[in-house]
Amino acid sequence: MDLSVYEDYAETLEALDDEMRFEYLLDIAKKKRGEPFPEEAMGDAHLMHGCMSRVWIIHDIADDRHYFRGHSDAAIVKGLVAMMTDSFSGLTTAELAQITLDHVRRLNLGALTTQRQVGMMAMLKHIQKLAGARPGIQAA
Amino acid sequence: MTAIPAIREMPARGRNTYDPAVVRADFPILSRTVYNKPLRFLDNGASAQKPQSVLDALQNSYAREYANVHRGAHFLSGAATEAYEGVREKAAGLLNAPGPDTIVFTKNVTESINLVACSWAEAHLSAGDEIVITEMEHHANIVPWQLLRDRKGVVLRVAPVEDDGSFDLDRFAALLTERTKLVSVTHVSNVLGTVVPVAEVTRLAKTVGACVLIDGAQGIVHQPVDVQAIGCDFYAFTGHKLYGPTGVGILYGRSDRLEAMPPWQGGGDMIDSVSFEQTVYAEPPMRFEAGTPPFVQAIGLGAAIDYVQALGMEAIGAHEHALRAHAFDVLRDVPGVRLIGEAPDKAAIMSFVVDGLHSLDVGAILDRQGIAVRVGHHCAQPLMARMGIESTVRASMALYNTAEEIDALAAGIRHAQKLLG
Repeated sequence: MDLSVYEDYAETLEALDDEMRFEYLLDIAKKKRGEPFPEEAMGDAHLMHGCMSRVWIIHDIADDRHYFRGHSDAAIVKGLVAMMTDSFSGLTTAELAQITLDHVRRLNLGALTTQRQVGMMAMLKHIQKLAGARPGIQAA
Repeated sequence: MTAIPAIREMPARGRNTYDPAVVRADFPILSRTVYNKPLRFLDNGASAQKPQSVLDALQNSYAREYANVHRGAHFLSGAATEAYEGVREKAAGLLNAPGPDTIVFTKNVTESINLVACSWAEAHLSAGDEIVITEMEHHANIVPWQLLRDRKGVVLRVAPVEDDGSFDLDRFAALLTERTKLVSVTHVSNVLGTVVPVAEVTRLAKTVGACVLIDGAQGIVHQPVDVQAIGCDFYAFTGHKLYGPTGVGILYGRSDRLEAMPPWQGGGDMIDSVSFEQTVYAEPPMRFEAGTPPFVQAIGLGAAIDYVQALGMEAIGAHEHALRAHAFDVLRDVPGVRLIGEAPDKAAIMSFVVDGLHSLDVGAILDRQGIAVRVGHHCAQPLMARMGIESTVRASMALYNTAEEIDALAAGIRHAQKLLG
């Protein structure tokens, strides 16, 4: 399974101390803030519920692989959404089902704020659900 | 065996000068750091920190005086019962209530309001009767009445708030009719900090014979409260916002109201006698306290009441008033900060939005600087809709906060603007 984007994020974050990790997250947030997201996708249908800010995630399938794009009205959350959607796009249903909370833990964003880490875990479950990938169950 | 810490001496009553540095030393958590920065705790509206005397009271209760209260035929039960029942008197003293029998222990304000809704209102209101609340209520003073509306067909009327967050007494008065049976209002808005003129609200409500319930969750912590001077029928507050433990709250109820109320939960402790044919309920306040109560937490609350009374609610109020004035000055000085709630009579609760930044981003950047604030809708979504916003950053001050912490908040907001601007 190709997790090269995820590995890049994880290795970069691992090399940083807490303060620099937060700055890195802010940099991603700022970079992603300007990226367009389709206006029509910012509706209830794509809204991820239970977040303190609004988060929308859209899902496409091409060649049996899942692709995600996300958006949030809060900059830092938009950065976090981008890390998740960049990291886990391009996987098959079976591969996506193998992504676990340990992948999120390895990013070590809990050291920044536990709320962010909890949000990331919820986001993982959300994209797995969108893709019909049930963790622990290997799709054929 | 671990030594039991001695109960610390209370701060001297009527101390001439209020010194936050001395007060802060009573709160162990305030000396810790977060992310290697000094903790600046400005989330007191959600829950306040605990002085050592409260922590000691909890420790002492579990370590030396623990046994279930009421009817135990032994020394420890007697000691626990005496300590627990003594807190009714302390709470009555804090509220200037006529006596301990008017004090019902609950879990928190939410449970207190649900108690009134499920007992008094359930028994005394019928379809078409009206309940008046305000636009600035916490969900805890909205949803119980909506549930009652769905059960009984009562009508909910909402008194508007002005653009600056002030309570509009005239428009409130205009809602009162002979059908108004209950007025349920907050004492202090948890978002705007607005102090509602509850004595005047009560006087107006009484002209139509309505019962008055006051949500004192934020009110009790910022100023002296006298339920007899206000003239209200019910006043609810929670322990954990008043420097006490979680899990215990107080509902004051006028004696004649409590006596005319049926129980709302059944179980042990709330009865005189039980047979399969007939159960006779206990007199108030026990009638409303089914099951083992949170007596350790109540004893902790007693220590918290002792603590604030030793400092003096007037002195606490004056200190917080000065903090609020300082916060107004420094926050208005930060370009792009818009204060939500600028009523002339306002407690030290500052909600604001920052142009171009999401509240959550501001909160996250403040957090990294050791500044604890709350962001979101603060369980007041109808108020957010009224003010045309989705969320705010809220800095809510307590008796131990300092002007320096407010300055740090302002600097933190500028830092957030620089980082994300």
